[in-house]
This record gives sequence, structure tokens and C-alpha cells, in this order.
Amino acid sequence: MKKNVITRRDFLRGSVATTLAVTMGLPLEIKAEEEAKKKTKVILIRDADVIDKRGNINSKVIQRMLDKSVTTLFRKKDPVEAWKIFIKPDDIVGIKSNAWGPLPTPKEIESVLKKRIIDAGVPEGNIGIDDRGVLKNRIFLNSTALVNVRPLRTHHWSGVGGCIKNYIMFAPSPPFYHPDSCANLAAVWKLPIVQDKTRLNVLVLLTPLFHGIGAHHFDSTYTWPYKGILVGTDPVALDAVGLKILELKRRAYFGEDVFLKPPAKHIAIADIKHKLGTSDLKEIELLKLGWMEEILI
Amino acid sequence: MLPIILFIITIYLVTPLMAESTENEMLKLLPNEIHGWKAHGKAKIYDRETIYDYMDGAGEIYLTYEFKRLIVKRYTKASETEIIVEVFDMGSPEDAFGIFSHSHGRETKSAGIGQDSEYKGGLLCFWKNKYFVCVRSERETPQAKKAVIAIGRVISNAVKTEGEKPAVLNYLPENAFSEKSLRYFHKYEILNYHYFIADKNILNLDENTNAVLARYKDDKSYLLLVQYKNETQSREALESFVNAYMPDAIKTGIIHTENGKWTAVTLQKKFLIIVFDAHDKAGASSKIESVRNRLR
Repeated sequence: MKKNVITRRDFLRGSVATTLAVTMGLPLEIKAEEEAKKKTKVILIRDADVIDKRGNINSKVIQRMLDKSVTTLFRKKDPVEAWKIFIKPDDIVGIKSNAWGPLPTPKEIESVLKKRIIDAGVPEGNIGIDDRGVLKNRIFLNSTALVNVRPLRTHHWSGVGGCIKNYIMFAPSPPFYHPDSCANLAAVWKLPIVQDKTRLNVLVLLTPLFHGIGAHHFDSTYTWPYKGILVGTDPVALDAVGLKILELKRRAYFGEDVFLKPPAKHIAIADIKHKLGTSDLKEIELLKLGWMEEILI
Repeated sequence: MLPIILFIITIYLVTPLMAESTENEMLKLLPNEIHGWKAHGKAKIYDRETIYDYMDGAGEIYLTYEFKRLIVKRYTKASETEIIVEVFDMGSPEDAFGIFSHSHGRETKSAGIGQDSEYKGGLLCFWKNKYFVCVRSERETPQAKKAVIAIGRVISNAVKTEGEKPAVLNYLPENAFSEKSLRYFHKYEILNYHYFIADKNILNLDENTNAVLARYKDDKSYLLLVQYKNETQSREALESFVNAYMPDAIKTGIIHTENGKWTAVTLQKKFLIIVFDAHDKAGASSKIESVRNRLR
């Protein structure tokens, strides 16, 4: 039984990656070889003026941040030219948002994304924004491209809620993915309504939630004005960087390493088992732009 | 054959009526108006099948207990934030206490509502009898806070009788634990939430096991006490735990773990007693013995 179980003691030994690989039946040498091939770019951009003291979002600043991220990511000077690389005029585009009451995807970011998709030539009628209604939404059912956007937060059932988890609403039966603290969330990304359609991921870290207790989970005590966004094409890499930032914030706040409850292992599993992206920070090229104060990572 | 058919027909007819009667009973707990906040729209009702329509992953937490149904009612007031009331029928006082204990620790002081309560950041949670209740304002304002507390009081007063806490708590040494660290549950997912042990159910926890996790005040170590249905099950759980978690201590039942602390485990009839993260070996052993003595 032992070799198939990851215990607290594996975490204490720092041998979780090895145990995960063994658990999934992967020979360690092959895993290392595959990882060596991967390279993924993640943009972290922050701006001290993106939110004011009352928590209001400055739309112009968020527009600037997204434009800078996309032009850097796709190596173009003009943001619309950058968007045209991955969005075509005949695309039907679903912006997969997140409606969680206490910390939803800000409307300002949804609007900026929509604007740039229109700028790329897509008619407004072919763009949809939705979360819980995606399986009944004509745009999403017929989509040829998806843009994934949500805030980063700790999550009582999966450890963290990030890019990977944001697609749970595409599952006809979300509870199917709940066992073992949502270990196999990345499998959702293989559903036909989703597979190979995601052109851009935006993980919002304007006021991330780094700790929570219980099912309601949200407590504004545990949010902070990080004033950043992560942008990239690899959802696993964005989540891995986001997770690291949350861990660093938790260490700074609590004065010690406090385990996430539960551990966000679905991120590593998305990489090792489902090959959805890269979770190893050493294999991620993190480009940090803008405001650097208390950047943590 | 006829009696069986009649029995099945009766069950089909009576069960929905019973559910409806319970729902009406729950709806009566809710006020129509408080401090200018008026009930807005019809109350929505969810059961074990439909709870995911209201909350995705969070539904799993309630389903690890004997959750029966949830009633959600919204209250609005001009130029003010919305207030949302959630009343959970947890099936028993033990499980209402359990779900409350799963979430408590946000605040050190009780809000003085129900059998125990907490208010923080616009969210009031309390338990009374078989009900677990949450009242929350989307934004915390002084007026909304007053209304949230007032709605909580009305609901609490409408639940006429109190319920008993789980009996397994009686076996805990008195005054040894931080009160807010105490968690009562049945399944390993909740144990892992509060103290991750393993990604698999190595303690064989299920809906029939009653477990309590608590943190000692003195050395901040953890006690896990699990009550199984019978001694055979507790013995099997011990074997499974030791094999997976401390195979290097099968004979002794005590191990110096990688964080420099001590974990010890023992069996007392249908109970399994585990101490995690004790400061020293003697402390781990004495903690185990002290619980064991109360079980004898």
C-alpha cells in the first residue's frame, strides 16, 4: 500500500514530486527527460495604480497592463497585432470568467479582453462572457477559441482556485472531478468543448486570497493588494507561479510555512499525468514587468 | 406480494410529503423583514442531489456530513448591500456541530447566537439543534452588520430546543485543547483539510466513523480520536495506518518523524488514538495514555 500513498511524511521529506511520479507509474528518468524539453513563458505585470484605496479598478491601467503583457508574450509592438496572432476574425470566442461572489473576475478586465478581441476582428456577436452558464451558452457551445480569466485564491477543496480549476464549469458533472482534492481537474481540459481551444490565460492577482477557513472561505483579512496579473498560454505554469506567490505570502504573513488545506496537488498532476503544461518553476521563464515593490517572487 | 407493493407506494407518497413538511418548517424560521431589509424573491431549496447547483466544490463539505437540505433566502434594502441567509438541515445536532466546527476559528469570541457562533467580516455562522445557519452581507456596513446579527437571533429563537454535541467529545481530556482547534467529522477529506495525513483513506474513515481532531495547548501537538463501529474495524484501520504512515514503527507504534517531532498510535477497543507532532517521545506516550484511560 505504501508506495501508492502520498503521506504527510513525504511532504516533510520533500519527496512529493518523486512520490507523485511513482504513484502515477512514471519512470523518473523519462519524466526528467520530458521536463527538460518544456519551456514556457509567463508574464507577471504589476502596477501600483491599478486599484485605489477603496478597491476600485482603474480601467485604463488594467488595459495598459494587459497590452504590455500580450505584446511581451507574443513579441509584437502593437497590442492589436499581438492579439491577431492568436485570435482570427472568424473565431467564435468564449471568455471564461469567474462569478464567485466575494472575489469575481473584475468586469473591467472582462471588458478590456472583449475590446481587444473585437479589435482583432471578431464581431461582437461572436464573443461571449460566462461562467456557470457555459454549457447552455450558444457562444461557448460553438466556440473556436477560449480566453480564460479568473482571480487567484485559496480554495477549500482544491487548495487553490486558478486557471486549471476555472474550467470546471465545462464539466457536465463537476462532482466527478472532486475526489482526492480535485486531483484530476486537468482532465476537464480534454473535454471536446474545451480541448485545444484556449488561446490566452489571465490569472488575476489584484487582491488575491491567500488563506481561508471553511466552506464560505472568503475573509478579506486574508486578501492583499498585490496589484498584479499573470498572463500566458500555459494554464499550469500560471497556476504554478500563482501558487508560489501564495505560499510566499503565507510564509510572510504567518511567519512560518503553513500547509495549504488541502495541498494544491492538481497543479503538479496536470503536468505530470495530464501533460497540460509545466508546473516546475525551473522550467518556467517568468518575465516580471512594472511595479516591483513586495513582488515576493 | 401485495403488502410489499403497498409499502413501496406508501414510501413514494409519504417521502415527498415529509420533505415538504420539513421545508415548510425551515421556511418558518426565516423573518420577512428586519431593519428595513425585506425578503426578496422565493426561498430556494437544495438537497443532497442539487447542492452543487448552489455551490460547486463547497457542496462536498456538507455531503461528508448527514446534510439533508439547504434553504437560501435573499434580503434587500434600497442603497444597501444584499444579505443572504442559508439554513442547513444537517440531519442531527452532532453534524450541525460538526459542520460548525469545520469552519470555526475565524474569530475568538462567540457572537452569542445559537449554541455557538462566530461573526467576522459580514459573515455570521452558528449552530443550534440540527441546524447550521450562515447569514452574510455582500459588503460589511454598520447597518448590514446589525441586520445580519438580528436575522441570526430571529432564526435562533425560532429553533426552540438545543441539541447534544457528539458523544465522542466526552473522551477528550478536559482543558487540554484550544477550543477553536476542535473539529468533528466522519470522512478523511475533512481530516485532510485540517491536518493532511495522506492522499488516500488510510484510516478507513466513512459515514459511520465519528472522529475528532484537536490541538493540545501545551506543545501544539494534535490528537486524532476515531470511533469505529466495532473492534474489528478499528484494528483494520490501525493496521492500514501503520503500514502506510509509519511502516518503520509497526512494532512500537511510535516514531520520530522528519520534522523532529513524534507520532504515536494505539488502539482501545473500537477507538483509534493518534497523537501527531508531540514535542517529545514521553509527551506523545503520556497523551495517548491519558485518552486511553478515559476510554477504559
